[in-house]
Amino acid sequence: MGLRLLTESEYRNSIRDIFSPDILVQGRFDAGRRVGGLLAASSTVLSVTPASLESFSKMADGIASQVVDQKHREKLVGCAPKDAKAADDACASAFLARYGRLLFRRPLTSDELKSRVKLAADLAKSNQDFYAGLSDSLATLLYSPTFLFRHEIAVPAAGGKTYTLDNYSRAARLSFMLWDTTPDADLLKAAESGRLNTATGVAEQVDRLMSSPRLETGMRAFFADMLQLDTFSNTTKDSIIYPKYNAQIAAAAQEETLRTVMDLSLKSNDDIRNLMTTQKTYISRVLASIYDVPYTFHDEWMPYEFPQSAGRSGIVSQVSTLSMFSHPGRSSPTERGVAIMDIFLCEPTPLPPANVDFSIVNNTNGPLKTVRERLMAHATTPTCASCHTHSDPIGLTLEHFDSTGAHRLYENGQLIDVSGTIQGKTFQGAQGLGRYLHDNPKFPACLARKLYSYGVGANSEDVSPATYKAAYKAFVDGGYRLRTLLKSMVTSPDYFDTVPPSAADTKTAMNIAK
Amino acid sequence: MTIVGRSMERKSGYHKRRCLLLCTALSLAPAPLMAAPWVRSFVVDKYEPAFYYGGRPGFEKSGIIEPGVDCPGGTLPMLDFAKVVKTPWRSDEEVASWVKPAQVADLETVHYMQERVLTYRSFRRDIVSYINPFTAPDPGMPSVIGKIAEGFNLDGNVKTGGFADTRGEKGIDNAYYRALGCIGSFRGVPFTAAMSVRSTDKMLEGMYTMVIRLSGNKDPRNDDEAILEIGYSPDRVNKQTDGRASTSYSFRIVKNEQYSKVKAAIRNGVVETEQVAELHTPRFGWFPNQMGDADFHQGRIRLEIGPDGFASGLVGGYRDWRDLYSEDTFTQSGSTIETRDHHDVIGMYYALKRNADGMPDPKTGEKMGISIAYRVKAVPAYVVDPEGPLSAGLLASDKRATQKYQLMRKIFYKGISTATIQPNPKGSNEGAPQLRQRADASWTTSNGERNGLRDSTPPIGPSTMLQQVNNEEAERISSVKPASAR
Amino acid sequence: MVFDRRLLLRGAFQGSAVAMALPLLDCFLDGNGQALADTGKRIPTRFGTYFWGCGLTKELFVPKTIGANYEATQQLASLEPYKKKISVFSGLRAIVDDNPNFQHWTGLAAITTGMSPTKAGEFDTQTIDQTIADAIGHGTRFRSIEATCSGNKNESYSSLGGANTNPPEISPLGLYTRLFGPGFQDPSKGDWKPDPQVLVHQSMLSVVADDRKRLMANLSASDKARMEQYFTSVRELEQSMEAALQRPDVVAQVTIPAAPGELPVSKSVPELQKVVPLMSRLIALGLATNQTHVFNIALAEPGSNIYMPGDSKPFHQQTHEEPIDPVLGYQPVSANFSTHSMKFFATLIKELEDIKEGDGTLLDHSLVLAYTDTSFAKLHALDGIPVLLAGSANGKVKTGYHIAGEGSPVSRVGLTVQQAMGLSIDGWGKGSMATKKAFTEILA
Repeated sequence: MGLRLLTESEYRNSIRDIFSPDILVQGRFDAGRRVGGLLAASSTVLSVTPASLESFSKMADGIASQVVDQKHREKLVGCAPKDAKAADDACASAFLARYGRLLFRRPLTSDELKSRVKLAADLAKSNQDFYAGLSDSLATLLYSPTFLFRHEIAVPAAGGKTYTLDNYSRAARLSFMLWDTTPDADLLKAAESGRLNTATGVAEQVDRLMSSPRLETGMRAFFADMLQLDTFSNTTKDSIIYPKYNAQIAAAAQEETLRTVMDLSLKSNDDIRNLMTTQKTYISRVLASIYDVPYTFHDEWMPYEFPQSAGRSGIVSQVSTLSMFSHPGRSSPTERGVAIMDIFLCEPTPLPPANVDFSIVNNTNGPLKTVRERLMAHATTPTCASCHTHSDPIGLTLEHFDSTGAHRLYENGQLIDVSGTIQGKTFQGAQGLGRYLHDNPKFPACLARKLYSYGVGANSEDVSPATYKAAYKAFVDGGYRLRTLLKSMVTSPDYFDTVPPSAADTKTAMNIAK
Repeated sequence: MTIVGRSMERKSGYHKRRCLLLCTALSLAPAPLMAAPWVRSFVVDKYEPAFYYGGRPGFEKSGIIEPGVDCPGGTLPMLDFAKVVKTPWRSDEEVASWVKPAQVADLETVHYMQERVLTYRSFRRDIVSYINPFTAPDPGMPSVIGKIAEGFNLDGNVKTGGFADTRGEKGIDNAYYRALGCIGSFRGVPFTAAMSVRSTDKMLEGMYTMVIRLSGNKDPRNDDEAILEIGYSPDRVNKQTDGRASTSYSFRIVKNEQYSKVKAAIRNGVVETEQVAELHTPRFGWFPNQMGDADFHQGRIRLEIGPDGFASGLVGGYRDWRDLYSEDTFTQSGSTIETRDHHDVIGMYYALKRNADGMPDPKTGEKMGISIAYRVKAVPAYVVDPEGPLSAGLLASDKRATQKYQLMRKIFYKGISTATIQPNPKGSNEGAPQLRQRADASWTTSNGERNGLRDSTPPIGPSTMLQQVNNEEAERISSVKPASAR
Repeated sequence: MVFDRRLLLRGAFQGSAVAMALPLLDCFLDGNGQALADTGKRIPTRFGTYFWGCGLTKELFVPKTIGANYEATQQLASLEPYKKKISVFSGLRAIVDDNPNFQHWTGLAAITTGMSPTKAGEFDTQTIDQTIADAIGHGTRFRSIEATCSGNKNESYSSLGGANTNPPEISPLGLYTRLFGPGFQDPSKGDWKPDPQVLVHQSMLSVVADDRKRLMANLSASDKARMEQYFTSVRELEQSMEAALQRPDVVAQVTIPAAPGELPVSKSVPELQKVVPLMSRLIALGLATNQTHVFNIALAEPGSNIYMPGDSKPFHQQTHEEPIDPVLGYQPVSANFSTHSMKFFATLIKELEDIKEGDGTLLDHSLVLAYTDTSFAKLHALDGIPVLLAGSANGKVKTGYHIAGEGSPVSRVGLTVQQAMGLSIDGWGKGSMATKKAFTEILA
């Protein structure tokens, strides 16, 4: 809440939707930080350093100069100056007001507009070029904190006792949550007219946004975050042990997982717990080589259903999960177990103590041939066991898949044992694990918590399930369908509840919600 | 379509030892234990003419490939240009002035001058010798005198061929090896000779893909009624960091003129196909314009599939020796081959002709084919049939180069079959055309070409001779398809 | 010295000279005296490329160890004195995708554009040095300087795209005249103009800064802190722009030599051994006196025709015709030419390293990309195409590494170079060479 820095995809999508898809956004965005399992939450703690401001200002220059260039100006500028070599306040004002409202996600104040129209005029004069002035003044909108930060403004709610988000903040929250982009014209109008301050108004917009195919963009962004697919940017594999693995496989693996999730949760509107057990996926040519199945060349992405004999189960046994959470040269049941607990059960694992001796675990040439044997050596030590008894059994069930996600039966000449015992129950292989996760109520609870945290930008570890209790009940009662959860959550009457700004500022709170 | 070998191993639940025993038992038992339809496919990632290397690998004599039982004189030495270009009408002074020119500062010009002189060494000044090799005397190319070769007994006669292979089979026919086996760019330990390395490099870079599909109903390791398909794929090989192709990739097989489907018998993992009148496969090469159907007459294939699923073997038969001459010579130019690969192209012509041992011409009885074999290595892959007809076109520059190459070949064929001298068509690569552009000894090349790239040459322009060839062979030319590349 | 930007807005700067006739000494001392020069804050970062044709010999140049403190190898022996300041890249690939492998062209175009070219002899986009010149090439007399060592005016591989390349100086005298002949700007005298774009950016920033008070309202305490951080960044940016409006220091102690005489220029190795040091020295002086911040120098063409007098075959021809020695496993004559190509590179590095500048050397304040057209010229192979990087770019690059590319695309080097030079890009290249993975292990 409060001040949320735009994520890279929010920034890019906003530029695309406000201006045009062919405007190039060339620049470096800072890496986010995962807070409570989500990058979206870190946007509430990230700020703009001098280096990132410089990056943003270069990006802004690049974008603005494209918007006014010969190719784009007719479509995007919308008015022509009387003299292209001189200032034209009327045209500049119309242009800056129009895009200022879209970029700031609210109309510019008269001061904000005036200073920019003046800048445009001054620069037009000194450059003898109207468009140079226009471009530079547009750029000041693009790296202004009002564009870069989502400013969620609190205003007193009806009754005066609680606080709620103002109308523009509501529009932004709905739009970024559901479509991963800036509010469109319809949504801004609903904000301006006050419709978004009413339950029916919100429901109207939510229905519109959720019935659009653009919902998929929003949900892809959420799942990419929750499933930590950005881990791939740090994933490398030993090219001698795994000569097949390359950047194309990494990219395809992310897309496969997102397609699977979208297909099940949005297209089929299926019970989302089936993500743990589904045998259906989509495979591209490079992924087919890892999964060791023939590829039909029909479409780039081939729908595929694994036979039971493949031993796979849902997204935890897709190349993405398996290869992101592995070492470069071998699999790691601990890493996989820790990741699965963190991502799907909302149970993060603390770091190991500083003085751990990893030599036994890492010795692949010693007497302990399989990774299971080596890990068990640690499970007997109480300090280690406290965490490892939770994470390792999960990962051990996935040991039929090597560090790239390919299937194997033997490790160092020994047949791999894929049993795992969690809380007294023993499971076999990925399918056993999938069933365990499917039936574990922590999974849907964790999903709901992360969905809520993503939308409001909070640390999921600090969020209480009570805040979205009704939505969760509707989700469970309705068969664990994502659409149900999402809709109930964002249309719930207290979704926009917020805390007031600090006492000193309450008196000067800007009340734009009219 | 199940892949029995792999699914067999997925019986987790068997005790390890039992499974190993079972696996071992299967590989030894001649009778199939599992009768079910099976498919095993491969993509080729190494391919080269099978030249048996008879030298001792440890022999240390820097600078020349050592002598061996195959070539007692060692690899053929670099050409002595002075000897090569001497003709009755070329004086010794003239030879010296071209071979070691005094005043030219630009060494690249010197090189092209040499190429030009090499091109004209027939009985008359104006004849391009590479197009009309019969107009120049046979310099004599030393052949292989060893008795061991890799290949097949193509005519079924142990008394012909003159070679035994390393398995002890007699009557091996590989006259191409006999004719050219001492040439430096082909001689060496398997897959290390220069032209072999070059061709494999280009294949793995994506120039072409060759795929093989085996299928049957009994057992992939023992099946006397198996089918082998071989052909071209438009899908590129994925090269791994270890230099081999990535396994388990899928490839579409195109059923065009480079495709064959033949019967095969498999015994303990060794595949032997039937011998067929014409075995069509993609061609070995290092330039796009060489691509096309190798067209092995009396062709057959042997493939050994290891326990790891990787395959290696031989593809062989009789190939039209004029085609082989053309591939080597006209892909770039005869003088490029002589200066780069150090073998006498005229000598090669006579050696091929002399060693031709198959495909007798129905009218004259003259042997038009020469026995040959290629080594092949392949990795496991999935070969699938494309859904519809594939439209694969050559790049414009490759199309031009291929057309030019094919027409050069046509002109050469015409010349030797009619014993009439053919002129050098306009735009041909023969005769160092770059030299014209460098007549003023300046550094620049015309046409905006940088550094005299020998392969980007302008398209063929009209010439009377070419027109005639075109008219006479209009039908045949239009049916000669460019290689079905991507 | 503060330059009033409102003066700017009244149109006082465009087209008119900003005369700052201060002697070098005053600017140099500037109140903080030596401290300013010592921090090197205003010493600009320079970029350059060195091109040589026909690659190197894998068996002789790839260091046995990977990472920092790599073992020097035979073919790189001439670079050993500078080993700590040079990184070597092995195992990188130029990937052609659907385009042909244009011999002696595709490899070099892949390195400098990140793309496999669609036409022989042409670039599909501008080369990396020009992209960098876009960012750092203003404020100096020349946007970039191109030179070639063997006298052929076609041998320049710096391009704005297409078939045209930036014409190179083809002799030491020509290069001298260009840099230090008529039009030479003695940095201690004469006109120096600030970059007008800096002034524009200053006025843009002030508009944003004006919004501050309004935006700080209605925020929680922690959010206020973050908003404050934003405006602190704005102030820092404003300050660095102020600095950019100052005439840059020339902190190198150099003397401009007299003009060289006419030297024969050819591809003979002995003659190159006279010409290359001279061209390198002139380039170094040109950088030190801020005539330019970007240079490109080519030894010869991609199908390199450098030759040893008495041997009838130049380098390129040898690579095709020389057999591979069965005992050595490589072509010894061709390897010798590759070693010479590295010696010439060492000559360039020496000249950059010999100029002391502030607390370091000109090399420390530069980044030099050495590249070629093929990994194994005999085959025109593109697998394992060698690249070297010298200099630490004013501390932005860590040096002295052997990086094993392991089959990854060679465009990663270009991405790393651009990020090191301060360009704000997250990805570079096209097709299979499109990459977002810079070599972060050498980015500081």
